[in-house]
Amino acid sequence: MPGGRVLVLALALRLLLPCAGQNYQEEAKRIMTTTPVIDGHNDLPWQLLKRFNNQLGLPEANLTLLNGTHTNIPKLRSGHVGGQFWSAYVPCDTQNKDAVKRTLEQIDVVHRMCELYPETFACVVDSAGIEQAFQSKKVASLIGVEGGHSIDSSLGVLRTFYHLGVRYMTLTHSCNTPWADNWLVDTRDEPPLHHGLSPFGKTVLEEMNRLGMIVDLAHVSVETMKVAMNLSKAPVIFSHSSAYGLCPHRRNVPDDVLEMVASTGSLVMVNFYNDYVTCEDTATLADVANHMDYVKKVAGAQSVGFGGDYDGVTRVPTGLEDVSMYPMLVAELLARNWTEAEVKAALAENLLRVFKKVEEVKMTMQGTAARETPIAFEELEGTCRTRYGYSNGAGTARLLPAALALALLHSLLS
Amino acid sequence: MRERAIELMQDARLIDGHNDFVLRLRIFYQNRLSKVNLRELNKTHTNLAKLQAGYVGAQFWSVYVLCSAQNKDAVRLTLEQIDVVKRMCNSYEELELVTTSQGDALSCISDSRRIACLIGIEGGHSIDSSLATLRMYYDLGVRYMTLTHSCNTPWSESSSKGIHNFYPSVIGLTAFGQEVVKEMNRLGMLIDLSHTSYSTAKAALNISKAPVIFSHSSAFSICNHSRNVPDDILQQLKKNKGIIMVTFNADVLACGRKVVNVFTLADHFDHIKKIAGSESIGIGGDYDGVESFPQGLEDVSKYPSLIEELLRRGWNETEVKGVLRDNFLRVFREVE
Repeated sequence: MPGGRVLVLALALRLLLPCAGQNYQEEAKRIMTTTPVIDGHNDLPWQLLKRFNNQLGLPEANLTLLNGTHTNIPKLRSGHVGGQFWSAYVPCDTQNKDAVKRTLEQIDVVHRMCELYPETFACVVDSAGIEQAFQSKKVASLIGVEGGHSIDSSLGVLRTFYHLGVRYMTLTHSCNTPWADNWLVDTRDEPPLHHGLSPFGKTVLEEMNRLGMIVDLAHVSVETMKVAMNLSKAPVIFSHSSAYGLCPHRRNVPDDVLEMVASTGSLVMVNFYNDYVTCEDTATLADVANHMDYVKKVAGAQSVGFGGDYDGVTRVPTGLEDVSMYPMLVAELLARNWTEAEVKAALAENLLRVFKKVEEVKMTMQGTAARETPIAFEELEGTCRTRYGYSNGAGTARLLPAALALALLHSLLS
Repeated sequence: MRERAIELMQDARLIDGHNDFVLRLRIFYQNRLSKVNLRELNKTHTNLAKLQAGYVGAQFWSVYVLCSAQNKDAVRLTLEQIDVVKRMCNSYEELELVTTSQGDALSCISDSRRIACLIGIEGGHSIDSSLATLRMYYDLGVRYMTLTHSCNTPWSESSSKGIHNFYPSVIGLTAFGQEVVKEMNRLGMLIDLSHTSYSTAKAALNISKAPVIFSHSSAFSICNHSRNVPDDILQQLKKNKGIIMVTFNADVLACGRKVVNVFTLADHFDHIKKIAGSESIGIGGDYDGVESFPQGLEDVSKYPSLIEELLRRGWNETEVKGVLRDNFLRVFREVE
């Protein structure tokens, strides 16, 4: 009977043609097999500190079995994560106390993570390293220090962090440093101290350019964003920020700054935290895709990236519950007519471009001397510090240099 | 005899265990290398020209920070001192940072102008009781840590009493102190026992799986100063196959005697050779770390005078080369 044959034909067709949604997912996975995602910001190291006091040897800390966090090894694999900037974050209340030591401990835990799981993680320090890790199918692991308070206003500390593998620094977390203003200044919760960067802050940024450390402007105030982008010789990143135009939260990037992102070849790695995505405490995958569309529209496809902020926040969108879900987001972008080239750019190529430019700037500055002028002692706060080395300089010296030297040498004698 | 000494030293240039020049850079110049020419500087015992004249082939630069920074900004200050050593050794072609006994830089003696830079931390207070910080220092190139300076840490006891008031009830090494020593063994960082109390030194000698060093100490039998090493510990050191790098600080050499010269220093060498064997001996001048030096040994160009005296006293070439570098290299290789 004709109706019966039509039915069979229709059934046959249904079996042969997968539905459109499934097609995009497969396409996403296909693309991500050769171009996995490089995510700008993940706070797993902070979870390791909170839950295990960095004791990676504990059975509960086994990263293959770990549950209760957004991140573990199986999820990274299914999420096609090929590169990750792990955040070496210490809270603002360590400022003027033990921030430096605490930051070293977080840098150390990333190193040890790579040592303990060498089949999964490859700790690398340059764009070539990331590309090699892609080849060997490992998760390229880099370190970003989250907050200028971690260097305790010391250029020497900044340089040694670079030697230890740190490749970006977020200029502030949610507190001002003696040399840079943070986003809370824009909410009127805190008064501005520097209107961007102090003279010493500019020195810090110049030194970052010279070293080849990427400047990260997540968490900073709008003035800081503008000053930094005007001053930096290299493109910058926002490792985990979204679009102010869609959700007017001061952690997000306003349109005029997005234009500067475009003109400087910089990168906005979109944050998935609900509060920054919808300005409410719930969100969906589609809302995150809206941000990626928005940044693409205002700043261009070369300015978009992924900066999930997994394990640094508690409320993530439905559809993006953990680090295995990146392909679903990529599928949504494909469904919105992003080309394969645009998707690959957002996944990895934009970040690699920025990183290579930063490395180029370092090359051109080779041979220039390190910045040596220390911050003026009066600009520092807190009692957990000594001032030796300073009394000799211009300014309020309390002891004559010779007398100080003798006093110090006397204390050296034992 | 003088020519013999120089010939010997040309062939086997000195590896010196301890120099505080980097502290002077902080005190005088705020670590601003652009303000100073390290080749000719004459405010200090040390400059590059004098090191070359003294046939120094390798120098451990101490990244000491004052004990008064303990529990304050010791970590930040230590990182700054490490940074200035790296910058210093990068900025002068005669200097080269070295972190291993393998390869050319330490073992090769062909280029008589080059000086290898090594880094030593002076005082456990620099790690702020954090094993992670210890590891990061190792990654930065630090290859020894003196367990204490003149203050106790929460986990180790110093030989200095009464200079500082930190952690007065700590004796020898605490359980955590033992963890520190074990981690140093695991990393391949030399354990330096100068400035530590005898309890600390004995405890470390007992648990360390690798040879240890005294980067700048002399013989207690000759001068009974608390910075010096008594015979029983020297014997333990010999069994441990470690090394005592004899120091030139006149106060610990001569116990207040008026005349302090190369003979005084050589007496310490002779005594230690008798107790522990010449293979346990090295040199750690402590230039720029203290004020008073023996006559004839006022700065880092004067090392040949010591070698001349040892030869005059009948030390043979092998023994002298051992003191100059071979004993230290043996220890470093073992530790790695």
